[in-house]
Amino acid sequence: MPIRPLVHVVAYLLLAAAPFAFGQLSNYYAEVLTTVAVFVILAASVDLVVGVAGQITLGHAAFFAIGAYSSAILTARYAVAPVVAIAAGMFLSALAAYLIGLAVLRLKGYYLAMATLGLTAVTFTLLVGVREWTGGAAGFGGIPRFRLAGFEFSDGRHYYLLVLAAAFLVVVAARTLLESAYGRALIAVHADEATATALGVDASRYKVSVFVFACALAALAGSLFAHHLRFIAPDDFTIAQSIHILVMAYLGGIGTIYGAALGAFTLQVLPEFVHHFKDYERLGTGVVLILVLAFFPGGLYGLVRGVGERMRLRRARLGEAAIGR
Amino acid sequence: MPDAALLLQIAFGGLSMGAVYALLAVSLVMVYKVSRIVCFAQGEFFVIGGLTLSALTNEAAMPLWAAFLATLALAGVLGVFAERIVIRPVRHEGVGTVIVMTIALSISLQGIALPVWGREAHVVAPFVATPPWEFFGAFLSAQVLLVIGASVVVFVLLRTFFERTTLGLAMRAAAETPTGARLVGISVTRLTQFGWASGVALGALAGMLIAPVVFLTYASGTMPMVKAFVAMVVGGLSSTAGALAGGFLVGLLEACAIGFVSSEFADAIVFLFLIGFLLVRPGGLFGNDAGGGM
Repeated sequence: MPIRPLVHVVAYLLLAAAPFAFGQLSNYYAEVLTTVAVFVILAASVDLVVGVAGQITLGHAAFFAIGAYSSAILTARYAVAPVVAIAAGMFLSALAAYLIGLAVLRLKGYYLAMATLGLTAVTFTLLVGVREWTGGAAGFGGIPRFRLAGFEFSDGRHYYLLVLAAAFLVVVAARTLLESAYGRALIAVHADEATATALGVDASRYKVSVFVFACALAALAGSLFAHHLRFIAPDDFTIAQSIHILVMAYLGGIGTIYGAALGAFTLQVLPEFVHHFKDYERLGTGVVLILVLAFFPGGLYGLVRGVGERMRLRRARLGEAAIGR
Repeated sequence: MPDAALLLQIAFGGLSMGAVYALLAVSLVMVYKVSRIVCFAQGEFFVIGGLTLSALTNEAAMPLWAAFLATLALAGVLGVFAERIVIRPVRHEGVGTVIVMTIALSISLQGIALPVWGREAHVVAPFVATPPWEFFGAFLSAQVLLVIGASVVVFVLLRTFFERTTLGLAMRAAAETPTGARLVGISVTRLTQFGWASGVALGALAGMLIAPVVFLTYASGTMPMVKAFVAMVVGGLSSTAGALAGGFLVGLLEACAIGFVSSEFADAIVFLFLIGFLLVRPGGLFGNDAGGGM
């Protein structure tokens, strides 16, 4: 892994851990940051599909739901160990993603976006409708706290560290994937599917496999989310949620993974600061998003990198001046 | 065998919602034709149309026809600004960026509508005060008939516009081959602006017509828009006739699902139909754009 991107990961970690350093991490902030970490996983995984492989999906909330409801039903109803339930949720989500991906990933552009949007809508309807399993619109409560090897995460701060670690691993894994030969093949499919195919890249296999991997990660996020709030409802898995996740990836800087993490952090934490202006929060979000997309196509990550680049150049120039050139 | 009155009532319900979806889908097609963009803010244009009409007729006590024309004009101006400020900077970017940009526009418009109209629902008095007619035990209100009639009139007007007028032909040329259109002296930029103005006005028109039938809040545009997407995709993205047919098809399908299965699963049935349709006929009923705008 290159050194410089690692610096950004460390920066992100420090940012998340900063409240600890000051001994100020209240349970409230632990709660907020846990949700941020869940969305980091979601945004990074959607970035793999949309930003890296170029397949626009508005279906991520559906796979988020598969993880959340698998964990909820298995642990609350059947007393299955949370880790086993996570594995089951991820497997189920991957299987669903494989079958759906084989069919819908043949579509392109707006058609793919519409089909996956439909997928989210169907899932939401089923969550509301299949009441015996999901609790319907009223939601599913009584989800036990997360347990691992006999240790119960009854302190929100401990659970936050666990979810943070998971988010960190996901970001590093996704970034490693992006920089591997596999990632380059995905980028080739994104840039020009016909050429990539001519060069021997089996486009369909790559598209489906990255979709499966990303949807398994979305299910992981769902499971962690379910054990975090311990109450889930269909309203967490709407079309708006799918859009929210996609927006995070674009705000942060599409196709960079780190950007997705930055976008998730920004979109989840920003409302905490502006909730005094409740009715204007949406307008603020919308305007920021328009400005970033219009003026900084690289997103927030591109912005940060651009500033770093300029500072390095200046330092280099100062250095040249110092040795009298 | 369900009785005739029930069937007829389901058909009326389907046709009236279908007309709204058709109008919205036609407004989406208008924007798509000139800029190859599916606008995710169309639901907000729809809602803002209805809410503006309600504000002008209820609070400002304007006569209906004046309020109607004022709202259309406002929507047209909004369309020009939206195109200039929001869409033009990303018009050469990929489908994903464009989708997210129109989502950003949608979030911003909701952000404006929320402080202006609050969270409560608004309603407009029916355009004509006739009691509902009864046909074989099923009821049909004048407003619903008005919505259906308007969608047909709009379709005929647009059809004539695109087939018979120079401006309409120029718009089609600009959408199909922008470079070629520029070479023969067509201002693609102007036409794009005009297309957005009329697309947004058409969206607002759908909102105004349906405002007396449903309660509109600042956030109630998403679902009608998503159904209009289905109609548009079924019609083949760039076909006005396809969008109209698709709209009525989606409306009737939804009404049948509500009537014969359950209102809870109606949306699932509509969207499963969309996914199935896309897999079997990815080019739409009348369209030939199998690339999905790429």
